[in-house]
Amino acid sequence: MKEVNEYAIRTKNLYKDFKLNSDKPGTLKEKLLFFRRNKVEKVHILKDIDLDIKKGETVALIGTNGSGKSTLLKLMTKIIYPTKGKIEVNGKLTSLLELGAGFHPDFTGRENIYFNASIFGLTAKEIDKRIPEIIEFSELGELIDAPVRTYSSGMYMRLAFSVAINVDAEILLIDEILAVGDQHFQEKCFSKLHELKEAGKTIVIVSHDMNSVKDLCDRAVWIYEGRIKLDGKVDKVIDEYLKVCR
Amino acid sequence: MKLFKNLYQYRELLKSNVKKEIRGKYKGSFLGVLWSFVNPLLQVLVYAIVFPYIMRVKTDNYLVFLIIGIVPWTFFTYVLNQGMITVRMNSGIIKKVYFPREILPISVATSGLVNFSISCIIILLFCIFGGVGISWHLVFLPVIALLQYVLQLGLTLGLCAINIYIKDTEYIVQFLMNMLFYGTPILYAATLFPERIRWILYLNPMAQIINAYRDIFLYHQIPDIYGLLYLVGVSIIVFIIGLVIFRKLEKGFAEEV
Repeated sequence: MKEVNEYAIRTKNLYKDFKLNSDKPGTLKEKLLFFRRNKVEKVHILKDIDLDIKKGETVALIGTNGSGKSTLLKLMTKIIYPTKGKIEVNGKLTSLLELGAGFHPDFTGRENIYFNASIFGLTAKEIDKRIPEIIEFSELGELIDAPVRTYSSGMYMRLAFSVAINVDAEILLIDEILAVGDQHFQEKCFSKLHELKEAGKTIVIVSHDMNSVKDLCDRAVWIYEGRIKLDGKVDKVIDEYLKVCR
Repeated sequence: MKLFKNLYQYRELLKSNVKKEIRGKYKGSFLGVLWSFVNPLLQVLVYAIVFPYIMRVKTDNYLVFLIIGIVPWTFFTYVLNQGMITVRMNSGIIKKVYFPREILPISVATSGLVNFSISCIIILLFCIFGGVGISWHLVFLPVIALLQYVLQLGLTLGLCAINIYIKDTEYIVQFLMNMLFYGTPILYAATLFPERIRWILYLNPMAQIINAYRDIFLYHQIPDIYGLLYLVGVSIIVFIIGLVIFRKLEKGFAEEV
């Protein structure tokens, strides 16, 4: 038992295929008429991923566009499921995959905090307790009671990030969204992430910003065409990665 | 059991989602939520004119008789129509965040139940002012409503999942519901059929439900116990099948919607 709990995330022989369908046969008629043609082509996004992330580790996933980093994160959050293999997650998990996921444009920022935090499984009482902190961190001030559709993308991200880091998750998954904020807020985010790291949270981050990755993470995993190409100390992996990129 | 654990943990999401369902449908219209009550009343009005005067149907207290049929039927169609599309309507959050997917159909079914409970006040008003009166038999109301809720939830769970993979489901179900409207004793009494073939009508769980409502609201008698037992059986079976289908298919939602 104890051995299992040492890990926050474990994947074993993880495979993920995506259907490649240019013209989706969605209706019954097409399914019946063209049932032979329905053998859609499959793309292998992830191949044989074995990745163990210990509790309290901060891991960066790096790699070129389309290499499968985001897919791996989505698998970790259970938005999608592996085609083959196993993935195991121990602990409460929060994800920041896309800007303002689950925000309702017509609702105010405050209402969206409730909605968003409830998606992460918080109760009204728990949200009430955290709301001052969330609003303060987002630096939205009075705009918190304005509809979210009036927000700029930076403000969107500030709100989303403030909610995500305040839901007390043990595992935090972040996909490439920090780039939207201004210098000041980015720095604030990273210092908050450092704080969370000190507190022993597990953080998995996808980023192309190598400097901040180097600063924050202990370990980096380089994913290349759906496979893990290199896994190890952050400096070493990034150096190798940059060598190939240049 | 995973279902109840999820529901308990995500109760806040369920609550805000139910609210959103109730408020959201008629957002932007002048009457807003009131439409969910005005709509069935208008429908009743149409039938109350068409059937006695044009078709010459003769039933005592036809207006009350109709209301008791139409309001539960509206509950049924609302849950199925909204429930079928709920996964697709929420594709935005399904693709981006994890949460127990069954929250979506359950929210629709529950918001339908809330609407129905309020609509029952209208039925009661019609009973009181229509000269029918009310009686202690109303204690059965929560039981019947709960059975209807479970039945509809089961149907919605299964159908909304299938609808993601085969979009035609929506239209096929729409047609079947139109047929079922006439196969359910809403506009007419079940006794219209000769006793020999009446059992076919009673196979339809909605017929049992409407009859039970009429028993308690209109005829002031205890609903047929065998009918209720049949309903319990059908509701539970439908619910389990629906949940199994949903569990099987939900893993692909994020990729298919």
